[in-house]
Amino acid sequence: MQVLAIILWAVTVMFALNVMMIAVTLGIKAARVLRRRRTQTKIERLEAALDQTLISGEVPPALRHLGNRDLDLLATMMVEYLSLLRGTERDRLVRLAKETGLVRAYFDRLRSRGRWRKARAAENLGYFGGPEAAAPLANLLAHRDETLRAVAARALAHIGTPEAAGALAQMLNDPSELTRLRMAENLERIGTLAVGSLSETLERGNPPARVLAARVLGNLRVHDARPALRETMREGAFPDLRAQAALALGKIGDPDDIPALLEAAEDGAWPVRAQVASALGAIGDVSTIPTLQKLTVDTEWWVRLNASRALANMGPAGEKALARLLEGEDRYTRDRAAATLEERGITRRAVRELDAPGEKGEGARAMIRAMVRAGAVRYLERLARTLPDEGARETLRRTMREARES
Amino acid sequence: MNPSDLILTVNYFVLGYFLAINAIYFVLYLISFAEIADYVRREIFSGFSELFTSNYAPPVSVVVPAYNEEATITESVRSFLTLHYPLHEVIVVNDGSSDGTLEVLMQEFGLYESDQPMRMQLETAPLRGIYTSPTERLIVVDKENGGKSDALNAGICAASYPLVCCMDADIILEEDALLRVARPMIESGSVAAVGGIIRVANGCEFEKGRLVKVKTPRKPLPNFQIVEYLRAFIAVRTAWSRLNCLLIISGAFGMFRRRDLILAGGYSSDTVGEDMELTTRMHRVLRENDRKYKISFVPDPIAWTEVPDTLRVLGRQRDRWHRGLIDTLVRHRRMLFNPRYGPVGLIAMPYFFIFEFLGPVIELLGYAAFVAGVALGVINGPFALAFFLAAVGLGVLLSTAAVFLEELSLERYPRWWDLVKLTLYGVLENFGYRQLNTLWRALAIVSFLRNNTNWGAMERKGFRTREENE
Repeated sequence: MQVLAIILWAVTVMFALNVMMIAVTLGIKAARVLRRRRTQTKIERLEAALDQTLISGEVPPALRHLGNRDLDLLATMMVEYLSLLRGTERDRLVRLAKETGLVRAYFDRLRSRGRWRKARAAENLGYFGGPEAAAPLANLLAHRDETLRAVAARALAHIGTPEAAGALAQMLNDPSELTRLRMAENLERIGTLAVGSLSETLERGNPPARVLAARVLGNLRVHDARPALRETMREGAFPDLRAQAALALGKIGDPDDIPALLEAAEDGAWPVRAQVASALGAIGDVSTIPTLQKLTVDTEWWVRLNASRALANMGPAGEKALARLLEGEDRYTRDRAAATLEERGITRRAVRELDAPGEKGEGARAMIRAMVRAGAVRYLERLARTLPDEGARETLRRTMREARES
Repeated sequence: MNPSDLILTVNYFVLGYFLAINAIYFVLYLISFAEIADYVRREIFSGFSELFTSNYAPPVSVVVPAYNEEATITESVRSFLTLHYPLHEVIVVNDGSSDGTLEVLMQEFGLYESDQPMRMQLETAPLRGIYTSPTERLIVVDKENGGKSDALNAGICAASYPLVCCMDADIILEEDALLRVARPMIESGSVAAVGGIIRVANGCEFEKGRLVKVKTPRKPLPNFQIVEYLRAFIAVRTAWSRLNCLLIISGAFGMFRRRDLILAGGYSSDTVGEDMELTTRMHRVLRENDRKYKISFVPDPIAWTEVPDTLRVLGRQRDRWHRGLIDTLVRHRRMLFNPRYGPVGLIAMPYFFIFEFLGPVIELLGYAAFVAGVALGVINGPFALAFFLAAVGLGVLLSTAAVFLEELSLERYPRWWDLVKLTLYGVLENFGYRQLNTLWRALAIVSFLRNNTNWGAMERKGFRTREENE
């Protein structure tokens, strides 16, 4: 009977727990609906007060002595306003954040123990804290919580001073890849004011930090960083770094860097040669065509791919060079050249120009014939079946036939 | 021992077993609750959108095996290509389709034959060709038929990027699915694989391969499965992941670090539970290589899939799942109770062996002993009724708690009625559905012993748009 009593007791408990669980689930939903409504009312009230302040310049009582929740609501609204306002109105809004006590409250909260309170405070101080918030936010970058570090990094990017950039660049040395990537994205957001710190990291950072610094400098197209990038491309201790420096020089796109890039085209590591090819393509100087042609017969596929794509970026001279590759000895080079001509729409254009008079038509016919001789006919045959114009289809078929017969 | 004593002993054994499994569930739920609460708070400040626009996220190769999918493949590929991620390529592996899957893709994306090399680090059926698109980051690998695992392996070989996302061709993903699932990988270099929550798409509305409205379906069978999926994914896998004991990353959607996947040997073609087998093998190989690693789970609904809505197809699916589980346990039996494999060998493998593999047998034994006990008068009527009600109550509690976790953290069902309905199905599943599942799984053991390697085809009805729903 004792077992029965236990089980009966269990049944009662089960029943109670189930009812409670269902009630809590539905209760949560109900509470959320109610809270959303209440929040909406509060937002309307705060919005009216905020608008009034922006017009009059006076802080109304409705915006003074707000509770924590209302303060967060007000901050969220002010952040939205910030993205819409410019000039003096924007300054007035930042001043208002100080006058309502919002900034002070968030500085206090930054010292609280709860990490989500800290996170909210950091997020908002990024917008309203000004340069003096940079130091406490930089301290947060060392916090053990990844998300909190991310929030602090974003906030520092919003502040955007050289000090903020310095703190972020320091964190490029962090062991967590996510942290490093986040720092890089925020440094890029800061832009030119971050260049000093980035250049320093490029010189003295740990290996992953140096790679990222080169990448950000390239993305920011920093002309002044070119000597350091050239040096890194030449002397960098490991291939990833040299490759990233080459890529960055390509993004900056200054023709004065071509000699250094041509030198790096001889690098023993294929990732470097591959990025050099991309960089030369981005700069687009026809004088580099011979080097790119050489890279199209590289032993590594990625180098050949980038080199042939680079040639496709060089206008008519590059296209001619690609067409010449179709006549080459190496089968892989021929295939790659044909594939590049196809993917860049050059083949299609040539097919349209087959009947054109003069040099244009001659060039087009030479290219199609070279493709047929190289065996790259699958795409051409598809075009010969699917082109909308019957005349163009017939011309293509005829040119292909002639090429085969010759 | 006379028969009555035997029946009574069996009943007490089953009672003990029942209490043990529910105690484990209780602990798993508590861990999941803490984990999900933390995840949701973290989400608020995660800044996914900023990472997405920054181009600093590591690139991902999305591998999609396709077999006779000519009707839907274009839409699927387009939806994968438009996922929010800074840099990703889509690799479709045409696994020797007998329909026009390859032709449709060639036509739609203007594919041309590529000379891109494949790093053949895994064995696959012979390749016929590799094609790429001139405008999209799309690679199509055409190969002889070799099955889903074989196709996935070919796709992994073709992948250029360090992170590989393997998925079913007919899965529907949330736009930021890749970002969410890649996050643990970017966060820590030691994360070897990540799984995500798979949700039931039946009843929901879709437009152009995207989910537009979440609703529960009309038919009862998919509703039972919604509750089941909530329990399995939200409440249980989250906890296993916290303990670094996750033994299964669903084959419908999972992300892997390519080098670890290759180290483990890729998908195995001679099992019907290739997803669980791979995850378990990754644990084993990484442990044997003394690697510090983690296999993670993102408690976020990022992928939606159509589930069976007939008993015949569902039965076949469950049969296959259970055979896959047994096969994995048999293949990796040396991990069982082996401290060398850490919590996987000491907690997860024993749990899966005792409670998942043997569960249906013991449950059926329990039903038989219970009926026999009542019939022979060994167990008295009120006791039987009370025990039965307690068991049902506990079963319902697990379901209502899963619905509670869903509402607390993820809020994917906006309508009140859906919540009430799911709770009702959580009650109803204890009367028939649960027993049917137990029977299917028990029969799967017989089927496994008979060496059945049948896959059990899924019949898909296709995703519904708003008009079709109306």
